[in-house]
Amino acid sequence: MLEAIHLSKNFKGKKAVQDVNLYLGHGESVGLIGPNGAGKSTTISMISSLIKPTSGEIKLNGVNTITKPGEIRKILGVVPQELALYQELSAYENLHFFGSIYKMQGKELKDSIEQALEIVGLTDRQKDLVKTFSGGMKRRVNIAAALLHRPEILILDEPTVGIDPQSRNHILETVRMLNEKEGTTILYTSHYMEEVEQLCDRLYIMDHGEIIAAGTKAELLSILSTEDTFKLELSKLDGNFIERVRAIEGIRKVEAFQLQMKIIAKKGSNLISELVHLADQQHIQIINFQTETPSLEDVFLHLTGRTLRD
Amino acid sequence: MKAVLWAQFCKDKRNPLVVLLFIAGSILATLLFAGGVSSPTTVPIFSEEKNASEIEKKWESLLNVSDSFRFEIMDPKQARENVRDGNIDVAVKVMATDYRLVANSERPTVSYVQQHVEKVFNREAQISAIAKTQGEENVRSEIENYLEDAPFQLDTQGLDSEHIPKYNLSIQLLFAFTFLISMFIAGLKVNNVTNDKVSGVWNRMILSSISKTSMYCGYVLYSFLITLVQVLVVLLLFKYVMDYEVGDHLWLIILIAAFFIFSMISIAMLITGFVRSPEQFYAIYPSLIPMIPLISGSYMLPGTITNPVLLFIADLFPMVHAIEAIMSVVFYSAGFEDVIMSLLLMLLIGVVAMGLGINLMERRGH
Ligand SMILES: Nc1ncnc2c1ncn2[C@@H]1O[C@H](COP(=O)(O)OP(=O)(O)OP(=O)(O)O)[C@@H](O)[C@H]1O
Ligand SMILES: [Mg+2]
Repeated sequence: MLEAIHLSKNFKGKKAVQDVNLYLGHGESVGLIGPNGAGKSTTISMISSLIKPTSGEIKLNGVNTITKPGEIRKILGVVPQELALYQELSAYENLHFFGSIYKMQGKELKDSIEQALEIVGLTDRQKDLVKTFSGGMKRRVNIAAALLHRPEILILDEPTVGIDPQSRNHILETVRMLNEKEGTTILYTSHYMEEVEQLCDRLYIMDHGEIIAAGTKAELLSILSTEDTFKLELSKLDGNFIERVRAIEGIRKVEAFQLQMKIIAKKGSNLISELVHLADQQHIQIINFQTETPSLEDVFLHLTGRTLRD
Repeated sequence: MKAVLWAQFCKDKRNPLVVLLFIAGSILATLLFAGGVSSPTTVPIFSEEKNASEIEKKWESLLNVSDSFRFEIMDPKQARENVRDGNIDVAVKVMATDYRLVANSERPTVSYVQQHVEKVFNREAQISAIAKTQGEENVRSEIENYLEDAPFQLDTQGLDSEHIPKYNLSIQLLFAFTFLISMFIAGLKVNNVTNDKVSGVWNRMILSSISKTSMYCGYVLYSFLITLVQVLVVLLLFKYVMDYEVGDHLWLIILIAAFFIFSMISIAMLITGFVRSPEQFYAIYPSLIPMIPLISGSYMLPGTITNPVLLFIADLFPMVHAIEAIMSVVFYSAGFEDVIMSLLLMLLIGVVAMGLGINLMERRGH
């Protein structure tokens, strides 16, 4: 129902987003993942009609939303990355305000506030000022404020950033419920792969302003079907050893962290004996050795040569 | 628009201290800097001669001819004490034909009182000297009659009124301080636009069904109303509680104040258009605002500033027009037609600044 075609955005000559193609089908739950500064928020701002793309098109059911943002704004709920709330007001007052700017009033407004509070589980605390809330509760009010007008499409920009695991689970459950029970179409942004894995049918991986991979979880994992991943724990680890491992035939990527190594190699290459031999030569003991089924994190590592966070 | 007004109001209702402090501040500033001179200053007189009460009575009636001072008979000890403690700037010790001032500071009041007392005593000395040589009893009334119809008379006349009313700087200061504070309140409230832009609340409004015009109107109207409340509170307090003489056309003064507030809000909007963050606004605005009354000459008697460059700059800000209009209402009983030019100028400044400010803000958004 919503598609972005060859979307690009430059900020004063700096390319924040380049040639992004993205599609949201009705009732789908789609993840957009990428490290800090990848261009996720910029992409979302363009899709939600807050900023104009430098080039490219956005279409809602075939209608250009850049020139006619009215339609998409009506059916769109956006949970911004920042806490867009009045800290001095209570949760209820905040929702009252954000509801009334959608021209709701009276019973309709009251009902939808109650429902939104219910969904995020803050009914008991509605009278309290937002500034007295914990980080997780503030995030939940931030979500509730986007639900008041019952949007068909909900875009969430890193809604779980910097909060405790309990609130995080609550938020994930809320989003899942909205998608499964209410049929809300979801675009969920995060830099936590496990969240997107849990929640989303499909995902887009973004880096340096570009979509570097897209598809269902299985499709993305198949990128790695030609590879094996090994994890090693060693008694000591130095640059020389890492260099030598890299030089082994069939090795594609090597990541080292303290005394651990992660190695991605071409499937079927006979590298275990070579590794053992090399370690022996350097008087390094292999304390632990395991083969890993690849995760989406590994897909990201494969595509960018970096892990998602750091 | 109602929603925006409501939300802004709720925030201030939760946190009324800032606005209340500002109102208290403008009252305090006026009292501190413009206080004493407003009502006639009371000056105690006393005598320590043998026939003290007779001498005191005589001079009391002779001295009490000016509106600026009220001479009151007081016990000598108490009068000296009052001066020593600083309760009173100056007291006058009177003798049969001479006087001494009792003062312990060099306040301006002392020299005003001195000038006045000196004049009265000199005249009395002349009259009694003439009376002595002429030996006539009714020489005083003759001299008074003669002076009333003297061959040379200096007659000052205002351009369109019978006489020049006394210009009272303290009333002007009252408005100068009230407006200074109101500029701060207006700016603070206008800055909520920037605050909400940074927090993301503004984006939420853009995505909602509220129109841009209603959004801006909401913020501007709220700033306007809250600032108007401040001006009204201060004005009514000074008029009805502290008996300041602000003329008979209170409604006209309020109208002028309203125009002033509108155009100041527009200037705050213009400044908002230049800044990126609320913090930047807090850094720029408070250092800019106190200069406006200074270059507008609002703390000085009209005509003190003569530098044409300064006069031109002052004309660009609403303060000079507002003070001028209000002073003409207070002192010269000017009516609506007399101040319409000032009102239009303020409106013009307001519309231009608002237009530029909103344009800058909108352009920054993309
Ligand atoms: N208004 C702006 N002006 C200039 N540069 C910007 C602006 N907004 C974003 N950028 C730049 O564009 C790039 C992408 O930023 P964006 O916020 O979209 O990343 P992100 O993927 O959301 O990152 P994060 O995970 O940190 O939220 C960054 O390099 C950022 O510095
Ligand atoms: Mg972001």
